Amino acid sequence: MKPSISEAEFDLLAAQTGLPLNAAQKRTLYDAYWMLEGMIERVNQPMPLDREPAHTFNPEVR
Amino acid sequence: MDEFLTIAAASKLIADKKLSPVELTQACIERVKQQDATLHAFILPTHERAMADARAAEARIMAGQSRGALDGIPIGHKDIYNTAGIRTTGHSRLLEHNVPDRDATVVRKWAEAGTVMMGKLSTHEFAMGGPSFDLPWPPARNPWNPEHFTAGSSSGTGAAVAAGFILGGTGSDTGGSIRGPAALCGIAGIKPTYGLVSRAGVLPLSFSMDHAGPMAWTVEDCALLLQSMAGHDAADPASADRSLPNFTADIAKGVKGLRIGVVRHFFETDNPVSPATLQGINHAVDVFEHLGADVRDATLSPLAEYHACGSIILTSEAYAIHEPWLKTRFNDYGELFRDRLAFGGFIRATDYVQALRRRRTLCEELKTAMAGFDILVSASQAAEAPLITEVPKWATMEKPSLTMPFNLTGYPAMSVCSGFGAGDLPICVQLIAKPFDESTLFKAGHAYETAMSTRERRPTLALQEAV
Repeated sequence: MKPSISEAEFDLLAAQTGLPLNAAQKRTLYDAYWMLEGMIERVNQPMPLDREPAHTFNPEVR
Repeated sequence: MDEFLTIAAASKLIADKKLSPVELTQACIERVKQQDATLHAFILPTHERAMADARAAEARIMAGQSRGALDGIPIGHKDIYNTAGIRTTGHSRLLEHNVPDRDATVVRKWAEAGTVMMGKLSTHEFAMGGPSFDLPWPPARNPWNPEHFTAGSSSGTGAAVAAGFILGGTGSDTGGSIRGPAALCGIAGIKPTYGLVSRAGVLPLSFSMDHAGPMAWTVEDCALLLQSMAGHDAADPASADRSLPNFTADIAKGVKGLRIGVVRHFFETDNPVSPATLQGINHAVDVFEHLGADVRDATLSPLAEYHACGSIILTSEAYAIHEPWLKTRFNDYGELFRDRLAFGGFIRATDYVQALRRRRTLCEELKTAMAGFDILVSASQAAEAPLITEVPKWATMEKPSLTMPFNLTGYPAMSVCSGFGAGDLPICVQLIAKPFDESTLFKAGHAYETAMSTRERRPTLALQEAV
């Protein structure tokens, strides 16, 4: 499997993280990136607009 | 003393003054000295502290002032649990010289219960990154065959309990880190309900997925340990404020009438398990039916849905914790941890929020499914332990985790040894209960263990060395 984006596009994303990744480390992550993309796609499936997150805000901070 | 004892058995002998905590501790220390150069279960043994604890326990017991079932019992702590005055590293170069000034709540509670602290146990780096060979300490190895993996991240606890170095220990479980090593090391381990056990003073990985829990040779021992771990703690914002049951009160009452659901698609199609693991689960189902349980199949969303949701949340939260160090000390982390966690920087805020919304849907689904059941059955590891040198870097992403659904939903789940498979290595079954119904989980696990004979057998290495 391959990522949906090119290595050059991935390099842009990597730069945005601010992590000090060298070329070999970026390549390692790029080769595995398709697995992360698959998970991101799964959690972004349509949901009702009013679907609340599992964590709800509680003003009574403990 | 060559005999291997459970906590329940040792506790009774100690209470009857037929076993000295000092002798028991000396026997454990002797095993550590003989075998830990091979197993690397300990990052830091604390033998002087252990002997002092044992002598104090013995004095209390002889004076008729026993503190209960754990008084004089040798235990160890995963090295992400803070121990006052004793180094706590997270198995990481970043905390190589970290000495906390306070005990984690659980460490304090176990000390107050009279346990004997044998030392700090190996973990995967910050409870996520192993097995790593580029850290200041080597990874723990499996006592059933030291060439094989323990699973993680509570790797040292799994190895130390299986080898008889300790009778029980602490673990933590964010995606399966108690149940995995319990499974591959052939012991029992429970991830309690989220909020039941305080995480205060435990190095965090993922705030909403982290669970603290016990690991031991038997289900009953896990129940005894959990009794002293659980309870409300204001220092943990997620701590549940509710009364505690007696976890061993009904443990021997059997499973007759219990409604048990088998989530067959998890381990047959979503992440197919090894032939021996499948046979073990099917045998466990047969045992439960034979003991009078009502067993039916249960269906949930595909495992990959739970896994994706849990992984996005875990990675995002862990990245938020580690980002400052990742940006400034990236190469001080081990390769596995830093590469796996670096992906956290590629997850958008909206992906994290969507995962939280999806989490609610999956929690509701599980609640609905559990309405008809008291216990669910699944696998907790897909196969017997692989060679420790052949664990893929992306193992946690390549296949959906069998344990993640219950970190995501916070339900209590336990790994129980179901026998032995390829290479004579342990196999396991996972049992799941409703939130805060650990008592039923222990009842089912204990009934199964009692019906099997797997608890009679100890790792070959331990037996060879004990001769």
